[in-house]
Amino acid sequence: MSGLSRKWRCRSCGYIYDEALGLPEEGIAPGTPFETIPEDVFFCPVCGTEKQDFELVDY
Amino acid sequence: MTLHQSLADAIVDGRAYADGDRIDAVFRQVRAEAPLDVAEPEGYDPFWVVSRHADIKEIERQPDLFHNADRAVVVQTRANAAKIRQMTGGEANMVRSVVSVDGKEHKDLRGVLFPHLTPRSVRPMEEQVRKIACEFVNQMLELGGECDFAKQVAFLYPLRVLMAFMGVPLEDEPMMLKLTQEIFSGNDPELNRSGKQQTPEEVLQATLASIAELENYFLGVTARLRETPDDGLNSLIANARIDGEYLTRRQLLGYYITAATAGHDTTSNTTAGIMWALAERPQLFEQVRQDRSLIPALVDEGVRWVTPVKHFMRTATADCELAGQKIAKGDWLMLCYSSANRDELVFDDPFEFKIDRKDNAQLGFGYGVHVCLGQHLARLEMRVLMEELFDRVASVELSGAPARTISNFVCGPKRVPIRFKPC
Ligand code: HEM
Repeated sequence: MSGLSRKWRCRSCGYIYDEALGLPEEGIAPGTPFETIPEDVFFCPVCGTEKQDFELVDY
Repeated sequence: MTLHQSLADAIVDGRAYADGDRIDAVFRQVRAEAPLDVAEPEGYDPFWVVSRHADIKEIERQPDLFHNADRAVVVQTRANAAKIRQMTGGEANMVRSVVSVDGKEHKDLRGVLFPHLTPRSVRPMEEQVRKIACEFVNQMLELGGECDFAKQVAFLYPLRVLMAFMGVPLEDEPMMLKLTQEIFSGNDPELNRSGKQQTPEEVLQATLASIAELENYFLGVTARLRETPDDGLNSLIANARIDGEYLTRRQLLGYYITAATAGHDTTSNTTAGIMWALAERPQLFEQVRQDRSLIPALVDEGVRWVTPVKHFMRTATADCELAGQKIAKGDWLMLCYSSANRDELVFDDPFEFKIDRKDNAQLGFGYGVHVCLGQHLARLEMRVLMEELFDRVASVELSGAPARTISNFVCGPKRVPIRFKPC
């Protein structure tokens, strides 16, 4: 999984959703690919921005 | 190296911001010649001027390395900074609130209102906001084709929305508006407490007097809302508990005051600025009137264009390097949002009002863990007002000279005289 793990950045505040870590406080398990999280479940834990305003981080 | 004295002095001079072209020219030169350098305006401790979009983001990405609480979060003269420390028993900021704390305290305080201000939480408020927007558009139309859009619409509508959500009664709105304007516009004789040009010491005295009035008002609110909670934001603040304890007196008052002031003046300035931009651009007005799906982009460009929050300060907690400069522990840094929003490296034609920017990366709401808590409400309010206006107004043009407030902190247009034709 970790080789495929990607990071997504909130455009509004810069918060990074790291697929390897997930977001356990919000019930999103480590290893959850961003695309599989339903739109109505996910929002940025720092600023509330919704899923469509996240961008894939290129390294 | 330090910034040329004339640039340093202009960056703290409210009159430079009142003259939009002047501050744009100052920051254009700063970005070109010394994008991260030290300013030493007369009477101020030195601080770094952070003028580039990327450098502000870099700082805001690292809240442990760049604190809000350690020194004043809004630029102060040396004498006023000392006075504030003396009065607060050692704190750098007059008001203790989300904007002036760090770490766990910040996360805890932010958590009090955050769940109620996400897009999902503000969406159900749209109907109520639209009702208020309609009332103001009706009032505007009754003015018979001419008005000062800033004074008669833009400064009243966000106030009404915010006060409704906070749970502040209608009759207290004029007092809230007056005190907010006194706090944010101490250097503008048209809006400050004395009606006169004031020295920095007098500005601080007047600001403290206005804050004291707000504190007195909100002291009564806490007791009442603990007894009878309601669903307003003030009730959430009054009844919030962190680690089982109510907020301290300073945290409570700081929260009410920050929300009650920052929550409307910012939106009002932006709304007034959008109307000013539209009144000067009949083609743009017609384009949006024909295609309402452009309104969110109009609002975002309005936030970039006006950037009503001109700066916030940070303090370095350790020696570090930023954009090739060595920053020392304890250094004070000014995040110049209005400069970032004209950064040539990020925005094509930064001095043009353009609603077709792809992924408008404006920093008007800030960035990082302190990013504006009210941004989703602010966007909703402005979108809804614009939708109502475009439904009812066929054209607008300036009918006199607009003017901006004299201030280096939260400010924007204070007069936008327009002539308009109803549909
Ligand atoms: C166009 C309207 C607005 C603009 C441009 C604006 C801008 C800002 C900026 C630049 C910051 C500092 C961000 C940072 O440090 O990175 C901020 C913080 C804040 N804003 Fe706004 N704001 C607006 C509307 C509102 C509204 C409507 C509310 C209340 C409902 C609000 C409440 C706050 C609060 C509480 C903070 C402090 C957040 C923190 O430190 O964690 N703002 N705002």
